Amino acid sequence: MIQKKICILGAAGVGKTSLTARFVFSKFSDKYLSTMGVKIDRKQVEASGQVVNMMLWDIHGEEYKKIPTSYLRGASGIVTVIDGTRPNTVNVAHKILQRVNEELGTLPNIFLINKSDLEDDWNISDAMIQTLRDSGAPVYLTSAKSGDNVESSFLQLAEMLLNP
Amino acid sequence: MNVQQVPDIIFSTIAKNSFQALAPAWFEIKTNSEEILNVGGEWQHYFLEQPVAGQDVSQACEMLIGMLPMTENFELPQMQLLEHCYTDIFAIHDTNSDWLLFCDVTEKTNQLQTYQQTSNDLILIKDRLSRTLNRYVGQEVSERVNKGELKFDAAGERREISTLFVDIRGFTPFNECNDAQVVMQTLNAYMNCMLDSIMGNAGMVDKIIGDGVMAVFGVLPSQNHYTHDAFSAAQQIQTAVAQLNEQRLQAGLDILGVGVGIATGEAVLGILGTHERRAFTAIGRHVNLAARLESNARKGEILMDEATYIALEKPHALIAVTLALKDIGETQAYALLSNS
Ligand SMILES: Nc1nc2c(ncn2[C@@H]2O[C@H](COP(=O)(O)OP(=O)(O)OP(=O)(O)O)[C@@H](O)[C@H]2O)c(=O)[nH]1
Ligand SMILES: [Mg+2]
Repeated sequence: MIQKKICILGAAGVGKTSLTARFVFSKFSDKYLSTMGVKIDRKQVEASGQVVNMMLWDIHGEEYKKIPTSYLRGASGIVTVIDGTRPNTVNVAHKILQRVNEELGTLPNIFLINKSDLEDDWNISDAMIQTLRDSGAPVYLTSAKSGDNVESSFLQLAEMLLNP
Repeated sequence: MNVQQVPDIIFSTIAKNSFQALAPAWFEIKTNSEEILNVGGEWQHYFLEQPVAGQDVSQACEMLIGMLPMTENFELPQMQLLEHCYTDIFAIHDTNSDWLLFCDVTEKTNQLQTYQQTSNDLILIKDRLSRTLNRYVGQEVSERVNKGELKFDAAGERREISTLFVDIRGFTPFNECNDAQVVMQTLNAYMNCMLDSIMGNAGMVDKIIGDGVMAVFGVLPSQNHYTHDAFSAAQQIQTAVAQLNEQRLQAGLDILGVGVGIATGEAVLGILGTHERRAFTAIGRHVNLAARLESNARKGEILMDEATYIALEKPHALIAVTLALKDIGETQAYALLSNS
């Protein structure tokens, strides 16, 4: 069976753990328990007619402490998460990716702009989304709460990894 | 300190204690491969099944797939191998064989979690507060547009205005040593001083930024010259903060100070958005200048640019200062430091 390691990166509190929990366990909680280090979850999916075991590395947010790039050894892809209600988390995402690119080279990546259910608080401009798209990576608006676009975006990443 | 200088008895006591706390386990691995040659230490701490010689590392520990063979040393801190347990993993590249060392850091990590949680909670809470306030600011703009107090064409209108920035000094370190509720109450108390003084002097709150506010004068109708309104607002902010601090001192609470920057010049004014979510914007060279002056202002200080100083007819109490401002360069400014 094909194994793919995927690292989930982003600022603290953007919803990395929530998106993983939604994708793997179809669960969501409003309570915030900040991740320490790394927690690993797995999910089997079918992509391009093959079974893929996605190993998801849910990594702590880049706030309190920098993400060590050693976590990314052996990774096939990256999910970069942004909080749609906090524009500053876009800058954090750019910063992390730049560091990863410098140390490990570019990896297939998707951007998830999360918390799309919080419409009234939405605070990301089209121009910001465009700069993300300009990097060549697909951008999805997701909600770990409603489940909107979560499964489909992870599956899209699996497809990208199988058809480079 | 050189380990060799430590008396044996001391060294062995330290080693014994940290050994017990870390509960180390290790794999010896054949160089340039993934094959485990030997397993040692307290493997039960890290694996449900006993890893055995001859196995591949990724069979014994699935998450290490793709990490070997080793070409250099690396560390994987705080890995949750088993639920609720944190492990530091050290990969050590040696001449005869490679090593993987597993150390239990659960206790230390749980302690750190409390700090990280507090600090991250605050980031989310502060963002939420400023979003709520900004939404209120947006509603205010909408109401004023509806009442006909704000009239701009969509293309934008040029007008001379004064812009004021104010920000709490040292709020971030304060954040880190207090719990969320205390921080919220504190932020609210200081925010009120700033907002009341601005609104009481025909200022319009443009936006709330983190621990501070941007406001413009010369946009809402007023009996006074807009630069005078801005200066009055700035002085009232400092007085209100000084009074608040006096009360807080008596109540045994921490106190904070604010810095203010004011600049005057032409700006293009516009209203963005529709209905309930209107936002007012002012764009102009002096707006950035005001922001820079504010970030240079100390606790209790008001800094203003030359245009503001002249419009105020050069008040005697102000002191001329030359500042090197980021992205702007050397700038003539005028300072008023409150006596508190
Ligand atoms: N409304 C809404 N809230 C969300 C969503 N995703 C996450 N949250 C909330 O945001 C907070 C943080 O979520 P986490 O998933 O723990 O964030 P994280 O990125 O893993 O945070 P760190 O581990 O600290 O880096 C929690 O209170 C979640 O309930 C979403 O799609 N919508
Ligand atoms: Mg998390």
